[in-house]
Amino acid sequence: MLSQQSENEIDLEIAKYPAEQKQAAVMAALAIAQREKGWLDEETLDYVARRLEIPAIRVAEVATFYSMYDLEPVGRHKISLCTNISCMLRGSEDIKKYLEDKLSIKPGQTTSDGKFTLKEVECLAACCGAPMMQVDDDYHENLTPQRVDEILDAME
Amino acid sequence: MGASIQHYIKSFFLWELVKGMQVTGRHLFARKITVQYPEEKTPKSPRFRGLHALRRYPNGEERCIACKLCEAVCPALAITIESEERDDGTRRTTRYEIDLFKCIYCGFCEEACPVDSIVETDIHEFHFENRGENIITKEQLLAIGDKYENQIAAARQQDARYR
Amino acid sequence: MPTIEIDGKALDVEKGKMIIEAADAAGIYIPRFCYHEKLSIAANCRMCLVEVEKAPKPLPACATPVVDGMKVFTSSPLAVEAQKGTMEFLLINHPLDCPVCDQGGECPLQDQALGYGKDISRFAEKKRAVDDKDIGPLIETEMTRCIHCTRCVRFGQEVAGIMELGMTGRGEHSEIGTFLGHSVDSELSGNMVDLCPVGALTNKPYRFSARVWELADHAGISPHDCVGANTNIQSVRGRVKRILPRDNESVNQCWLSDRDRYSFEALNSPERLSRPMVRRDGQWREADWETALHQAVSGITGVIENHGADRIGALAAPTSTLEEFYLLQKLMRAMGCHNVDHRLRQQDFRDDDESIMRPWLGCRIEDLGRARAILLVGSNIRKDQPLLGLRVRDAARGGAKIMAINAMDYDFHFDVAHRIIAAASDLPGRLAAVVHAAHEGSEVPSDVAAWAEEAEFEDAAAIASALKDAGEDAVVVLGNAAASHADASVLKSMAQALAQQTGASWGCPSEGNGAAAWVAGCVPHRAVHARPATGAEKPVSNAMEMIDRPLKSYILLNVEPTLDCADGQAAKQAMEGADCVVALTVFDIRDNVDADVMLPVAPYSETSGSYVNCEGRLQSVTGAVAPLGEARPAWKVLRVLGNLLDAEGFDYVTSEDVKNEVAWSQMPILDESPRCGVPAPNARRRPAGALVRIADVPLYRVDALVRRAVSLQLTADNQPAMAQLCAEEAQRVGVEEGDRVSVAGAAAEVSLPVRINDSVPTGSVYIPSAWQATVPLGNSTFVKVSKA
Repeated sequence: MLSQQSENEIDLEIAKYPAEQKQAAVMAALAIAQREKGWLDEETLDYVARRLEIPAIRVAEVATFYSMYDLEPVGRHKISLCTNISCMLRGSEDIKKYLEDKLSIKPGQTTSDGKFTLKEVECLAACCGAPMMQVDDDYHENLTPQRVDEILDAME
Repeated sequence: MGASIQHYIKSFFLWELVKGMQVTGRHLFARKITVQYPEEKTPKSPRFRGLHALRRYPNGEERCIACKLCEAVCPALAITIESEERDDGTRRTTRYEIDLFKCIYCGFCEEACPVDSIVETDIHEFHFENRGENIITKEQLLAIGDKYENQIAAARQQDARYR
Repeated sequence: MPTIEIDGKALDVEKGKMIIEAADAAGIYIPRFCYHEKLSIAANCRMCLVEVEKAPKPLPACATPVVDGMKVFTSSPLAVEAQKGTMEFLLINHPLDCPVCDQGGECPLQDQALGYGKDISRFAEKKRAVDDKDIGPLIETEMTRCIHCTRCVRFGQEVAGIMELGMTGRGEHSEIGTFLGHSVDSELSGNMVDLCPVGALTNKPYRFSARVWELADHAGISPHDCVGANTNIQSVRGRVKRILPRDNESVNQCWLSDRDRYSFEALNSPERLSRPMVRRDGQWREADWETALHQAVSGITGVIENHGADRIGALAAPTSTLEEFYLLQKLMRAMGCHNVDHRLRQQDFRDDDESIMRPWLGCRIEDLGRARAILLVGSNIRKDQPLLGLRVRDAARGGAKIMAINAMDYDFHFDVAHRIIAAASDLPGRLAAVVHAAHEGSEVPSDVAAWAEEAEFEDAAAIASALKDAGEDAVVVLGNAAASHADASVLKSMAQALAQQTGASWGCPSEGNGAAAWVAGCVPHRAVHARPATGAEKPVSNAMEMIDRPLKSYILLNVEPTLDCADGQAAKQAMEGADCVVALTVFDIRDNVDADVMLPVAPYSETSGSYVNCEGRLQSVTGAVAPLGEARPAWKVLRVLGNLLDAEGFDYVTSEDVKNEVAWSQMPILDESPRCGVPAPNARRRPAGALVRIADVPLYRVDALVRRAVSLQLTADNQPAMAQLCAEEAQRVGVEEGDRVSVAGAAAEVSLPVRINDSVPTGSVYIPSAWQATVPLGNSTFVKVSKA
């Protein structure tokens, strides 16, 4: 199901917790699986559940709660735009509109060339620099349409 | 003593009779208010509570959703309903019967109905010829509703602003 | 002990209790949705907010522990404002469909909206809608109504022991659902319907068929297992609409198994027999009671005259009532015949003469939940007696060691500390090993030792020491598989030996209402209260012998011999060969049973009667609704049969009269009888190439009623007859999942689909009983499986 390296990493995570608390490693295990597979399909969720000996629905609860887990295929770059209260007050709705027009996709969709996936996410804890978005692993704050252009154009 | 004489005189001249005849005489020549029923009929209020009907929506779907509130509220226990899930998943009656002998035409059923399905029309001229006909079925109630829908709707419309 | 004040009322409350518990105990009302006394505290509905002195904000009463000197106000302006605010939020997304909602009328949200809701909603935006989920044949969903209290999720996690429902998504996108749209398969799933405070989870078979205010309540007892669960049978115009649990902390708490809850569908089955039927010249025709009864009586007396009274026999379903058992045996004995039995699936009667007076659990049901060690022998307690399974789970959660010696690694909902899985025919040997280990050097009784030749098993010593450690708090429970085992008497005797050695108690509860049958004397060798039956010294036949040495006439009380008897095939032939078979039956069984007269009798909902559960609790109920058509309570039919057969003492007016004759006060106290000797091991060795058959009865096939409960038959627990093998064994046979195999028993061969099930040990095959497809195999212990 997963590569040996991922399996080893999951074992390492499991080892951090008491033997009867294997479920504590669920978030890390999902992240490891996602890094390898790109996104989490139902089979993977089921596998993680069996790996940690917890009910599959328990894993699904965690995976659907956090917007960082992708339950659908994503493009090469994932844009996670925060639209929570601080960002909204600082104009994230305009940024959202701008991104939608620029990429011709709605949140949750992927561009036809498979380059970008746009996601609307909950607070990413960078309210000080609202409005903000996360592209792949990097935070970008104090967004304006120009900043968005610069960031996205620099992407492969 | 004086009162007794007065009484005697009144009796002698049939004074009370004369007074009565005066009333009779006045009405003999006054304009008549008798309605020649059934040739003539009085106007009825839109709130008149007569024979029951079950209504439909304009698309032909029966309104009744088998919530049984009319059955619950009926003080005379005249309504009997049985229900089940119809093939399309909606809640529908399989039996809706009103015993018109038990019914006291209080209109509570209509008040209770959340979908304006059961109504009391202004029909008050109906009779039964055979035992058992007093219990009207869902089909009969729907037929009455279909036949008099315009009348029913107009009456509800008229009364709507007082509700 | 902290002293607190709620609404000005001073209360002494145990430390660690929550405010809501203190308020409930004092009869002070606090609104709530997510709090339930049997579930963990979630505090996510916020309906129970109360004002606490010196607290800056309202606090949830369900999650705030009491503190000495605390002053709580449940209906101060602040508290009420908070509660009203919560209610307004809850109603934002709740649909206004109360008139079509089955919960309408018994809905906490509806009730509390009346107290705390506004008459007008300020929410003008779009309400959210959630797709309904198909979670199986027992629960209907309407997920838009859900208020996310998570009671159903917590029930699955904590009580039922398998988490099938969960809350996915976040915030406004939260939804209750199953993983990948699986169904909810717990054997206790119906309780989620009771727990749901709104109409999101409703009873599927009951759907839209009645409103709560028209339902009439009747106390009932569930006859399907030995728990005697207290039920509330609800009916409208003489028709049972649904069954709910009736709280009884010592029996079923507030739960009910799906089998008890949903078997009511069979009560309204089109297969119900509503008029007596007689067969003349091979043709079935309806008859009036008089004709039918006379044909029955003349048939029976004919057999007595021609062949003698000992050529008739009576079989009663274990689900019958105490009164029915009593009258049936009284009738038989009045005719001079002791062939009467209810132990239809039992195969080993060798301990009959010595056994204790009635089967029981070994401890009280409540004590099972508090035990510190439980050894299950031949028991799938989770499926066989779901409510006892809950108690075992309670014990396990309280730290008890649960151990199992089974023919199959059953999927329990509790952790099993030690397990021994062996072929069914090897179970006595394995248990002997545990007895051996328990003796630790002291001398093992020679009869047990004879079984324990190969007595070195890894877990045996561990099991023995766990039982010893728990001492009096240990229980050895023999299950249905043990009771119907070919060496049941050996298992029982060894369990007793083990209990005596370790200080544990032991028990082997019966199926259904079997304990009442023993009390009533519905066994061939014992009369009422287990007194020796006078005249039973001459050879009498138990259930097994009545089938193996066919009689000339049978009286059946709610029995379908083909499906209910241990050897269905022989039972079928016995019925076919008999001159006269009189069936007192709830259903029209002419296709299953070769009967001559069918007398329609009332099922449990339509007759008064008494039940004795596995802890010896006597519970009597009256009929909930009138019998269907011309059906009559079986005790009345038996009484009339008694009159027609000129038997003495059949002048009962009510079933109470019958019960009083078997009066409880005369019931001798249940004391431990001396241990019966273990018969020597027989030389029944497994033939080469044969597999050992596991013949468990699936939980929704146990009696005639359950088999006709349509929705239960559709559940995942009710898989059709299959040959279940472990992957290794399947490979050896050369088959894969879905292939067909032919299974050869002693007398016949059947073709069955294969299912791979790794909980079946190698060398065994699980072929369930009580399915028509597996009847031809009879009670063969060994079967040969080959690719079809």
